[in-house]
Amino acid sequence: MTDTPVRPDSPTATTDRQRVREQRPLSELAAEIPDTPRKRKVGPRARRILKHVLLIGFGLVMLYPLLWMLSSSFKPNEIIFREPGLIPTELDLTNYSQGWFALLHPFHHYLLNSAIVVLGSVLGNLISCSMAAYAFARLKFRGRPLWFAIMLMTIMLPIHVIIVPQYILFSSLEWINTFLPLIVPKLLATDAFFIFLMVQFFRGLPKELDEAARLDGCGHGRIFLRIMLPLSLPALATTAIFTFIWTWNDFFSQLIFLTDPEMYTVPIALRTFIDSTSASSWGPLFAMSIVSLVPIFFIFLFGQKYLVKGIATTGIK
Amino acid sequence: MRATTTRGRKRAAFIALTAAGALALGACSGDSGGPGGGGDDDGGSSESGDVEIRFSWWGSDDRHQTTQEIIALFEEKNPGITVVPDYTDWGGYWDKLATTVAGGDTPDVITHEERFIADYANRGVIADLESLDIDTAEIPESIVDSGRVDGTLYGLATGVNAYAMVADPQIFEEAGVEMPDDTSWTWDDFVQVSADLSEAAGDGVWGTQDIGFNEAGLNILARQKGQTLYNEDGSLGVDQETVAEFFQIGVDLQEAGGTPDASRTIEFQNAGPEGSLLGTNAGGMGIWWSNQLGALSDASGHELELLRVPGESEYERTGMYFKPAMFYAVSATTEHPEESAAFVDFLLNDPEVAQMQLTDRGLPSNLTVRESITDQLADADARVADFMADLEDEIVDGPPVPPNGAGDVQDIMINLNSEVLFGSMTPDEAAEAFLTQVADATEG
Amino acid sequence: MSVIQEVAKTRGASRETRKGDGKAAAIFLAPWFIGLGLITAFPLLASLYLSFTDYSLLEAPNWIGLENYTEMFADPRWTKSLAVTFQYVFISVPLQLAAALGLAMVLDRGLRGLAFYRSVYYLPSLLGSSVAIALLWRQVFGADGLVNQVLAYFGIEGVGWVSHPDYALGTLMILNVWTFGAPMIIFLAGLRQIPTMYYEAASIDGASKLRQFFNITIPLLSPIIFFNLVLQLIGAFQTFTQAYIVSNGTGGPIDSTLFYTLYLYNEGFGSYNMGYASAMAWFLLLIVAGLTAVNFFASKFWVFYDD
Repeated sequence: MTDTPVRPDSPTATTDRQRVREQRPLSELAAEIPDTPRKRKVGPRARRILKHVLLIGFGLVMLYPLLWMLSSSFKPNEIIFREPGLIPTELDLTNYSQGWFALLHPFHHYLLNSAIVVLGSVLGNLISCSMAAYAFARLKFRGRPLWFAIMLMTIMLPIHVIIVPQYILFSSLEWINTFLPLIVPKLLATDAFFIFLMVQFFRGLPKELDEAARLDGCGHGRIFLRIMLPLSLPALATTAIFTFIWTWNDFFSQLIFLTDPEMYTVPIALRTFIDSTSASSWGPLFAMSIVSLVPIFFIFLFGQKYLVKGIATTGIK
Repeated sequence: MRATTTRGRKRAAFIALTAAGALALGACSGDSGGPGGGGDDDGGSSESGDVEIRFSWWGSDDRHQTTQEIIALFEEKNPGITVVPDYTDWGGYWDKLATTVAGGDTPDVITHEERFIADYANRGVIADLESLDIDTAEIPESIVDSGRVDGTLYGLATGVNAYAMVADPQIFEEAGVEMPDDTSWTWDDFVQVSADLSEAAGDGVWGTQDIGFNEAGLNILARQKGQTLYNEDGSLGVDQETVAEFFQIGVDLQEAGGTPDASRTIEFQNAGPEGSLLGTNAGGMGIWWSNQLGALSDASGHELELLRVPGESEYERTGMYFKPAMFYAVSATTEHPEESAAFVDFLLNDPEVAQMQLTDRGLPSNLTVRESITDQLADADARVADFMADLEDEIVDGPPVPPNGAGDVQDIMINLNSEVLFGSMTPDEAAEAFLTQVADATEG
Repeated sequence: MSVIQEVAKTRGASRETRKGDGKAAAIFLAPWFIGLGLITAFPLLASLYLSFTDYSLLEAPNWIGLENYTEMFADPRWTKSLAVTFQYVFISVPLQLAAALGLAMVLDRGLRGLAFYRSVYYLPSLLGSSVAIALLWRQVFGADGLVNQVLAYFGIEGVGWVSHPDYALGTLMILNVWTFGAPMIIFLAGLRQIPTMYYEAASIDGASKLRQFFNITIPLLSPIIFFNLVLQLIGAFQTFTQAYIVSNGTGGPIDSTLFYTLYLYNEGFGSYNMGYASAMAWFLLLIVAGLTAVNFFASKFWVFYDD
């Protein structure tokens, strides 16, 4: 009479869920998987206010270093260290204009370069990693555990020892000083982090959905596109956001592969404000760092919408 | 059930498109940056038959801007030669340089430094400059020699710096302590003055920043006592007693209260000129390279002065020396040696260059050029020039070029000095460790 | 009979006609295979080869067999770097994940200003590897920094945390925990995929919040927890930028922040000893692979998938 429970076997939970399951058919269940916002906490008001106070307080602590950097970007370069307080005694907006024009090109040139690299990387990762993840999560093929292990091992070597052979490789392909060494690997799923991430997400999705789709005559392609991907919007959004941020901030490989200052991206440009052997321009550095944080912040703000979309019912016909 | 095929095909098409797009992007971006792709070594020539050479240097944005202007000037005077710039900050410079050499893309003209030049010279990466046509007539013999490794000239000094004491007269005045007489002060005097200053100046201000983190200071002390840090053949020329004496100075300073406690000292040390003791008006003295006077003055907002290092008249001879600020070197595998040589010649000897960059790369090594800019120097730069002119008669000679592996020695100094300051090693133990570790590092 | 039972029955049937998904797998894995062959394999194997050579980057490598490895095992700084890294990994990773999970749980409930809080807690991660961090960390943990100023209010005299050999590593651990934003986002995404109806059903049955946490949240979130654990471990062992920036590249004071990768980098690019650095890298790979394997093995006991 009782089904094999499809959910993990923790004693009490099983009986609860079993009971719930038995009472309703799958389609109804599926339709019920909600896109609901989490319920508002209905507690005593004081508790809510306290919670907000604590969260804000904690937030301020978290943000202090950033606030310091923001305030320093408005101080004249010379006094940043002399007067390290949080509130600037002298307001100086020239750090922004100075920083913007300080290098060979106005700073937006570097922002644009970074944007190109990042866009390519995000697209590349989204496509190739989700495909590979589907294979690892849902397909059965010979040697799967071995390939999975190899996949993970590719991210266990520090970049410093593989960058020189990589440079030699790309140099022989004449890709040095182009964006290719930075983008093409992403198109070829070399970011095992995201493959693994999506594998975990895919494995968390109920197999009944796959099965139901297969009954309807869907092949792997359609299952992948119509079921797995839409239901993994949070994982995809996470991949996109993280790829964006990590590529935006990636200094070392961009330093090595881009030799012409024309091609420089934001992290390299920022470093050129510092020179420990003579004089550094901390003010403009902070100003331009803030400027380069802005796009990431907004991408993040915007991307959150997709992060919070729960399991949508659209994938299930 | 065969739906996969259509899907698969569609996806394949999409991927192909994206890949093509990416390749196109790559190609486009590559072009806009000039044909500076891999294989620069083959001397990329653009359509007009131009010769292209690549010039690498480190610095911060000021130097980058100035250097770009200098390059533009050279290209103006030498139509047919294009100079492709390749610049980064100090930290990334050596990583990138080593990688490009490993990949066969060595820049044609390379900015170099005395700590690493031996490594590159001994491994055949850079060329013998005397085989190239570069005019060094106006550069003093001793400065030219500073770029010789085993007798062969591998680098030409762009300019000279001196390792010197920097002092803040205002801090001294406010504390009511007399400025030391730098023509006669001993190392003990130095410790004493620092202690006096700390005490008189009150909380949060100290006499001096610690001086033990750079092997240049040790070299000066060694030379004062008739020794030298490295011999001509690369072996160590300083004995354990001297090294211990050097570390002892730091201990003495700490005990007398002339320097802040160990962790504060490390903080100041890591903060560069801007965050240093002098830069933040938290002290009266510090030991720096002369070309850092500008940054220090700006940061502190006071008029800082250069002083001779203590002990110049204490022992048998003076120890200070003119250090080549940096070198210009030429790749041994360059396809355009004549053009590269012409560029180096231009950088060293053209007075217009000096007028643009003044003392940013040290006081120009070409004496005529140096004189031509002395009037233009303002504030800090002028003081540096004056100071260096004063030293001319006192400085007898320069030390030999550091051997292979000298880049590690600074790390060794920092480590051992920290141990001594934190009290986990005595100066003697540190001296012993220093000799062993440096010998290890430089034998390669 | 419920649809599930129907499906379960036909499952067996459809499986027979699906003899291994080799062909489909080949298509889906194609980009990855190409990437592996074209881009990843050569550098990986090259670095393995280099670990048996003396390679200065400036000259061609020459074979020296196991010398790098024997030298490594006898190198006290190498041992120190291992100690530093292990300490860092095993203390800061659990702390970071706990903070990430905790905040994710708090922020998962319907809370006014949720998006705002999420962004605020994520901001530090954006700065994590910026050059400015060195300065910022000195501002907070320096001898005259914020922490000491706060402590002074309570009459406690602080030391220079960030530049003291006993505490410098601790400040870097705090830096790691401070950037909990990344795993937090992943946890949030995972929490979002747990249907609320489970919680509702449990509430109906009278299960307490704590019970719900342990019996619903943890098991259903376990694949994500596992993921974060494995990857934060792999990443933490390779920590470089933060250590490099805060210690000014020295790993100091007195090697107290000499992370394994920092030492590796200094050897490779600083001392022109790339062969030695490659040997260090491959040893690290062995350690990390071993720990990951242990993780995977242990996961059988606490991670639940639906397949």
